[in-house]
Amino acid sequence: MTHHRWFTPWLLVAPAAVWLFAFSVWPSINTLVLAFTNARPLGGEHFTGLANFGRALNDDQLADALVNSIVYMLVCLPLLTLLPLLIAILVEKKLPGIMFFRTAFYTPVVASAVVVALIWGWLLDDRGLVNGFAQWLGVIAAPVPFLTDRWLLLFSAISLTVWKGLGYYMIIYLSALGNVRRELHEAAAVDGAGPVRRFWSVTVPGVRNTMLLISVLVSVSALRVFSELYVLSNGTGGPGGRDMSLVMLIQLYSRGFTGHLGYASALSLVLLAVTIGPMLLLLRLNRKAA
Amino acid sequence: MRRYWAGLAVLAVAIAGCGLGGAEPDSAAPVTNVTGEVKGKVSLQTWALKPKFTDYVQGVIDGFERQYPGAEVEWLDQPAESYSEKVLTQAAGGSLPDVVNLPPDFAFPLVEQGMLLDVGQADRQLADVYVPGGLEAYRYPGAQGTYGYPWYLNTDVNYWNSELLTENGLDPEKPPASLDELISQARTLKEKSGGKVHLMSRKPELSDLVNAGVPVMSPDGTRFVFNTPEAVALLDRYREAYKEGLLPRGVLTDTYAGNAKLFTEGAVAWTTAGGNFITSLATDNPTLAPKVVPSPAMGTPPLYVQGLAISKATKNAPAALALARWVTNAENQAAFAHLVNVFPSTKASANDPFFSKSDGTRSGDAKVIAFTSLAEAKMLEPVQVTDAMKKFVRQQFALAINGEATSKEALDAAVAKCDELLKS
Repeated sequence: MTHHRWFTPWLLVAPAAVWLFAFSVWPSINTLVLAFTNARPLGGEHFTGLANFGRALNDDQLADALVNSIVYMLVCLPLLTLLPLLIAILVEKKLPGIMFFRTAFYTPVVASAVVVALIWGWLLDDRGLVNGFAQWLGVIAAPVPFLTDRWLLLFSAISLTVWKGLGYYMIIYLSALGNVRRELHEAAAVDGAGPVRRFWSVTVPGVRNTMLLISVLVSVSALRVFSELYVLSNGTGGPGGRDMSLVMLIQLYSRGFTGHLGYASALSLVLLAVTIGPMLLLLRLNRKAA
Repeated sequence: MRRYWAGLAVLAVAIAGCGLGGAEPDSAAPVTNVTGEVKGKVSLQTWALKPKFTDYVQGVIDGFERQYPGAEVEWLDQPAESYSEKVLTQAAGGSLPDVVNLPPDFAFPLVEQGMLLDVGQADRQLADVYVPGGLEAYRYPGAQGTYGYPWYLNTDVNYWNSELLTENGLDPEKPPASLDELISQARTLKEKSGGKVHLMSRKPELSDLVNAGVPVMSPDGTRFVFNTPEAVALLDRYREAYKEGLLPRGVLTDTYAGNAKLFTEGAVAWTTAGGNFITSLATDNPTLAPKVVPSPAMGTPPLYVQGLAISKATKNAPAALALARWVTNAENQAAFAHLVNVFPSTKASANDPFFSKSDGTRSGDAKVIAFTSLAEAKMLEPVQVTDAMKKFVRQQFALAINGEATSKEALDAAVAKCDELLKS
């Protein structure tokens, strides 16, 4: 029998623990502390109590960013929870050449978000392919301002997120669908259930836990959206900055020599609170349904 | 249970300790000794000069080490991206190199924190050697002294796509010299080209307000005041032009460099850019480059300054001062300006025919225009204007131009936010 010294397990977890503490726990604690100060990159920080949160309450930019992030989540959530499931059902079938479609749906996931957003920017520009084609067809007389109108820019970015996320969630659903027992489908079919009824009564309950996981993942990532809006708006947040997301706002205040680190930290806590909300709600709904 | 409380205590101490205690302006810091023999190690930090100008900089350093035997220069070059973050990290961590390339706006926050040496006090000959505009750029409101050796200068020149102008009934040799003429020619170009190309492709910035006679800040530099009727009138003009389709719609979200990009693509017929634009255009769009005609900037040309600042914490001030003076001396600056289209900040270079006489090419003309413009060029935006302020101003101007807010509302909002950012 081998004897282990008491510290052996600690030694084993030490590299991961140090990493976690240095790059996750410590910055989190630091953010929490800074949120109550007027910290700048250079210069002394002083405790300012709830001043940063008071400032946030009167910040129009924050109000816009919150609206954008919440709309983003509300639109992405149903689309990225249901569409990948439908696609997964389609590509689950064992047909010749189905691997091509599986790969095709997954390709956008591999591409960099920034590169993809740049390409979409070119496509949606006034002189881009989409407007050019629509004008050539005579569907529109003047270019549609996809990138310079507040809501169109937001929905262009949402479309990009949905398109890019489809493949990722499709893969998760594919593995979940493999666990839905075939006999259940067969029994339902024998009982006279059509494909739609089987979808709602067999497939959806079978992947319900996966749906919940995906809902949580989608809502968290949608609330933290950055690249799509940043690239499509050239970093400006659109006219009036009304297309900035919460993360863009945090980035704006935390950068440079004159960054407002205290305020940016307070905004990070606001983002944390906003992100935890829908997660708890989804978990609660799931518990109720179970 | 005891362990639990001990853990909490450690956490409390950790929380109390972290975050706070950054760099404070240190009025009690020992006075840097600036006199003495030039010898020992001294570090020099440049910004994105490797590998393109490695030979040049190394040559300057070798010359310095020959001039001062016993002195040894450690050269650090930082990449172009994220330079401000790099300098910030160095400043906050107390590892600022002895001599640092800092443009005036980067130097300002460091001056506020007392991290840079007043070279004006250490070197009484500054005014004899460098042009006033260059020195002025390193003098700051609320701080006595001069905090950098001006290095190389640049300004903006107007560039016109002669082919697009001629094709659409405009004379490239008679470019617009005012906003009125610009809008009028933009209208002609739009009508003749059926809206396919534009002349104007940038929205106004704070510098345009300055050129229209609008003060950006109060004389004491404590608040922003650019929400004047003149500023409202300027934004109104742009809104009308935008509504008329004289500017591409992307201008609302384009950044300052957006118009040079559209010009390079051949989508617009006018851009502003530095004196060396045609040289870079020859690489990016070789067929367009020969068709470009330069002309002086409208209004007061902007002054772009690069300089060398000296860390107050330097342990070798005599060598740091000598090195900064050496790198920025007339001879070394002239040699640099012969390699790339920048202009020396030394008075001795004023009569150098290399800068004042064109070689007959359009690029040469642009260089002479830029060099001549430098005499009246000014830093148009106050150094207190931060990136966050510029971004907010751009966003508000975009809102006024697309008509979602009145010019007055946008300007009032911009002033209020800039004031808030200045004070917080």
